[in-house]
Amino acid sequence: MDLVSLPQMMIARPIVAGTVTGAILGDIPTGLKLGLMFELLQYDILPVGAVRYPEYGPATVAAVATAHAAAGVLGLGLGALVGLVTALVGGFTINELRRLNSRIIHAASTTLESGDPRALMRLHVGGVLRDALRAALVTAFGLFLAWLARPLLAGPLSARDAIVLATAAVASALAAGAAGTFRLVGKGPNLGWFAAGLGGGLLVAVWLR
Amino acid sequence: MAAVKGVGLGRALLRLFAVQGSYNYERLLGLGVGVAEEPLLRDLADGRYRPAVARGAHFFNAHPYLIGLAVGAAARAEHDGAPPDQIERLREALCGPLGSLGDRLVWAGWLPFLSGLTLVAVALGAGWVAVATFLIVYNIGHVALRWWALHAGWTHGIRVSTALHHPVLHRATALLGPAMAFGVGVALPLAARFLAAPFPRWGQLAAVITAGVAFLLLRWRGDRLSGLRVALGLAAVALVVGWIWP
Repeated sequence: MDLVSLPQMMIARPIVAGTVTGAILGDIPTGLKLGLMFELLQYDILPVGAVRYPEYGPATVAAVATAHAAAGVLGLGLGALVGLVTALVGGFTINELRRLNSRIIHAASTTLESGDPRALMRLHVGGVLRDALRAALVTAFGLFLAWLARPLLAGPLSARDAIVLATAAVASALAAGAAGTFRLVGKGPNLGWFAAGLGGGLLVAVWLR
Repeated sequence: MAAVKGVGLGRALLRLFAVQGSYNYERLLGLGVGVAEEPLLRDLADGRYRPAVARGAHFFNAHPYLIGLAVGAAARAEHDGAPPDQIERLREALCGPLGSLGDRLVWAGWLPFLSGLTLVAVALGAGWVAVATFLIVYNIGHVALRWWALHAGWTHGIRVSTALHHPVLHRATALLGPAMAFGVGVALPLAARFLAAPFPRWGQLAAVITAGVAFLLLRWRGDRLSGLRVALGLAAVALVVGWIWP
């Protein structure tokens, strides 16, 4: 809900949602790991105009709930998969909610043109409540997926399969993060700063090995 | 006017936090703008209040943190007795600049800059403290920007464009661009190290190669592909590989 409606304070930002979910489950490291992964995916999105985008906040909650059931890499890949599906569904519901809001507001256009402040407030609060319900349903859907996925951790998904899945998830998050940043940076003078940052980050990463 | 300035501005500011609550494809943020502007219009004369409320809820789109500028300016113009078509033109004229400035300042500056620093700190082991710091620091800037926008709009009214040329805004935009690029640049390799640390050697190598290919794919077909589509596609491939790998 924080993503669009209220209060846009970045509570639903993946790195925050993941950490809070991890804290609730008593597993902050898993929350941080998946939060960081989905935060990189979030870089791919620039929410300008009426652009459509996936919803990574509830996705991260579902991912952490899935990954919490298994330690290390095993939960990471499956958690990411559950989160990605939840993000897709979340994005779809945002679009559908906006269409529904459009129909409701179009039907009330005569009342709105009369300048009735109560009608205006009623329509607006209705939108906020519908988004709250939508966000709750998306999160519940993600948690349901997490519950469905848990048996896979104990059965058909081997440790190697889980590593392959986690590798794909991490690689796509890094690619999305880099591509999204590249789009923001452009080909102007900031490109040099981006390159300098990448170089510095690489040096630190190598130094820490 | 004095009463409006105190209580009215406070109410309008609170309502601005929910300005996107009824987002729709017909009026975009119009309803939210109308709801935020309404407390500032309450002391208008009977015949002017309702038309002003109706005007406030017309089509509007801009960056949500800077919408206060339009809300304050339009409300002030209503109080100053500006003609309705001039107020409509003012609103129309503000959509583009407020959107563009807010996107550069916040979505492409302040937010990714702080997010990048947070990823660096988390990757280096700062844990939840880094995330809490991100939330606090980000929202200091966020709330300050919302308040400044509303206050500046109310102060300048129809001549609100002068507020958009405030030197601090331009200096912040000029500084945040390079800072964001550098911060996220540092974050990417450290995030890769943090996420791939528990992988075996072959997994780390596969992650780097796959990330490179996926990045090129996103650059090449960025118009049709998104990070989510690539991630879901790669996850599907990974499941098939895991299934057929003996």
